[in-house]
Amino acid sequence: MQTSRGPFRPFRLLATLALALAAATFGLGTATAQPSKRGGTLIVGVEGEPGSLTAHLATDTAAMMVAYNLFNGLIGLDEKLDPTPDLAEKWSVSPDGKVYTFELAKNAKWHDGKPVTADDAEYSFNEIIAKVHPRAGSWWPNVASAKATGPHTFVITLKAPYAPFLTLVASVLSSGTLVLPKHIYMGTDPKTNPANQKPIGSGPFKFAKWERGSFIELSRNDDYFKAGKPYLDRLVFKIMPDASARLLAFERGEVDFLHWYIVPYDQVAKLRKDARFQLIEKGDAAATNGLLLMNHRNQYLKDVRVRRAIAYAVDRNDIVKKALFGEAKVAKSHVGSGLAWIYTDKFDYAFDPARANQLLDEAGFKRGADGKRFALRIHWASGRDYEGRAAEIIKDNLRAVGIDVTVLVLDRPSFIDKVFRNWDFDLANQLFTTGPDPSISVTPRYHTNQIKKAPFVNGMGYTNPEVDKLFDAEFTEVDRTKRAAMWRAIQQHLMADLPALPLFEVPPIHAASAKYRDIVTGSQGYIESRENAYMVR
Amino acid sequence: MSLRPSLLLYVARRLLQAVPLVFVIILINFFLIHAAPGDPVDFLVGTMEATPEYLEGLRREFGLDQPLPVQLWRYVSKIAVLDMGYSLRFRQPVFELIMSRLPATLLLMGTALVVSSIVGILLGVAAARRPHTATDHAATFVALAGYSMPVFWLGQLLLIAFSLHLNWFPTQGMYDLRAPSDGWGRIVDVAHHLVLPALTYSVYHLALVYRLMRVKMQETLALDYVTTARAKGVPERRVVYVHALRNAVLPIVTVIGLNFGFMLAGSVLTETVFAWPGMGRLLYEGIQGRDYPVLMGLFTCLSVMVILVNIITDVVYAVIDPRVVYR
Repeated sequence: MQTSRGPFRPFRLLATLALALAAATFGLGTATAQPSKRGGTLIVGVEGEPGSLTAHLATDTAAMMVAYNLFNGLIGLDEKLDPTPDLAEKWSVSPDGKVYTFELAKNAKWHDGKPVTADDAEYSFNEIIAKVHPRAGSWWPNVASAKATGPHTFVITLKAPYAPFLTLVASVLSSGTLVLPKHIYMGTDPKTNPANQKPIGSGPFKFAKWERGSFIELSRNDDYFKAGKPYLDRLVFKIMPDASARLLAFERGEVDFLHWYIVPYDQVAKLRKDARFQLIEKGDAAATNGLLLMNHRNQYLKDVRVRRAIAYAVDRNDIVKKALFGEAKVAKSHVGSGLAWIYTDKFDYAFDPARANQLLDEAGFKRGADGKRFALRIHWASGRDYEGRAAEIIKDNLRAVGIDVTVLVLDRPSFIDKVFRNWDFDLANQLFTTGPDPSISVTPRYHTNQIKKAPFVNGMGYTNPEVDKLFDAEFTEVDRTKRAAMWRAIQQHLMADLPALPLFEVPPIHAASAKYRDIVTGSQGYIESRENAYMVR
Repeated sequence: MSLRPSLLLYVARRLLQAVPLVFVIILINFFLIHAAPGDPVDFLVGTMEATPEYLEGLRREFGLDQPLPVQLWRYVSKIAVLDMGYSLRFRQPVFELIMSRLPATLLLMGTALVVSSIVGILLGVAAARRPHTATDHAATFVALAGYSMPVFWLGQLLLIAFSLHLNWFPTQGMYDLRAPSDGWGRIVDVAHHLVLPALTYSVYHLALVYRLMRVKMQETLALDYVTTARAKGVPERRVVYVHALRNAVLPIVTVIGLNFGFMLAGSVLTETVFAWPGMGRLLYEGIQGRDYPVLMGLFTCLSVMVILVNIITDVVYAVIDPRVVYR
């Protein structure tokens, strides 16, 4: 052995050197583990051009996805739908549930260098959100005043206790409450201020470039008030309108992240097997359900026995399996199971066509000579192909119990016109959010005072005074246990009366490149700020 | 070749005649767009509830609460002074929006139109010189396939073949966002992104030009003056490319001009599949959101472009064919 050592010596030397070098590099790497999260670009695919890059003008999701990186809310929402700090480092609620005090971070700065103060919050809430945001009308009337009481202290006083308040303020998609810079907006029309297209915010990223129709580029805010964050150097939103081409681009690595509702469910199984990608299955604070709306003005559907017969006749497991490729769950209530503190599946219907036939007979709609009882139409809006597949399955299911169904598809604006503005429908497939708080997303669908010719409210014409009474009482109940009991009673009524049949819970499945971590950390998954996202090296 | 004074007069008159035509088009577009069911306000408000007062406020702000004739009058009186109004969704002047999208469409369409016209003419000539051979039949088959293939499907096929499997070309957009470049690098980058959409865009047009050129060239080559030229001993290439081509290409010019309108319409599909940031996409998004001012602005722009191209086609005709007399 000794004799054979000679000729190999130079290699040994080299090998040792290489090893030492590697150790040094590795050592350096571990010593600076934290900064190594820094750097890189995340390219996010969006399905359409946003109208603006702020949250106060509309409820445009693409705009929100960008805006949340440029601005901060007062607070955020974690995965359990509990509030987390954002601009406000801490907050407190008075014992009577009426006064909310927010202490803002003292080191937060606007992208132009000016400090963020409680004045900005006061101005944003009173002058912009309350006056311009489409949703403000539904919750702002509860507010008595919103005032800056110190340079960094912001106090909101309510007229009466309002249980969903904190959740609302935390949920940007529901309330639009991102804080805007007073010095940029004061004295201008907040709807047409040029800053809506080139925002100056306080968020983890700064606006860099908006190439119309093509992409929006943000760059790291080096002065961000949350130490060390964000980790990425650049954040780019690429506008990609075509579903199949978007997926091809994702597979080729041209984009790194597709949020859940632009990932087709038939592709999920394939992506799951591919090591280049990861699926992030969380982050829909809105707990969205797919429902079959039933028009109570229809001569057959106005009979609760017919509605229950439909609930027994529709094979919802089959819809989940075939329309959503097994990626969803059957919805068993008008509230999503994500709202664990109130959700109950106790009042659900089992698949039972015999029972359906029996109920239809009892209702007096006997089968004719051709085996048919009566005819109904089912409408769906193009865009979500799983709703179309669900409609076809429902058609087959109902034909089996003697109801003749015609499936009709419209583009979304025409669908809204027909179903919600003209009430000219029998059955319709529609997604309804049920979170982050049911008061703001469930109540408006089924309350009698929401029978209005407006989109996404009670177009079914459902009315039950007992449910209305519960709706009117629950949101003033500050005791969470009592409130949950009231919501379980509401679910029992809704499942018995069936203004709509819950079909499936839309699963949030985001697709991302395996090279990134922490792209989604909270419950507002697809719109949340990417301040936590980083690249693995 | 100098333009004759009569031609300039002719162009001036055609332009003047175009003005009432544009107004009639605006009128028709206005009623068509407003006849479609759906409401821009619904789109803006999105999928959650907004109060009726808010909806009414928006409608008032956009002037949608007024009767249609009033809305039309407001629009026409603005467009008369070339003001296209504000986009409901982007809250930006429509003119700015259209101008920001125009270059991408012109680049894509111009490339496709030029390449497919030249290649179509050359292929047509080649086929006409050797009719009824195997090559001719194969070319005819390919042309027919290209002519009848839906644009969005062809686009998908090209993406799967050349992007996903061969990895030659990017799939979406105009720029590489991971490695942004400047100057020459940027031009190369855009050209790289341009290949597939331009190819998709060209196929239909190429097939059309090729088929027409082949027939016209065959007809022309059988004419007496061509036989005479050959008898005089003019080289065959000269006979074909100088004597015959000049006559055979005339109807092609008309078809290229006419096709311009169809290509503008086709831009919606191609631009959507390839995420090309042009006017076609703006139109698509405008329809989705019922953004009336954007739709009206785009339709008006497109109509004006088609009318202009028609006039240009006629002028080109005159330049190529001195026999054409304008009155």
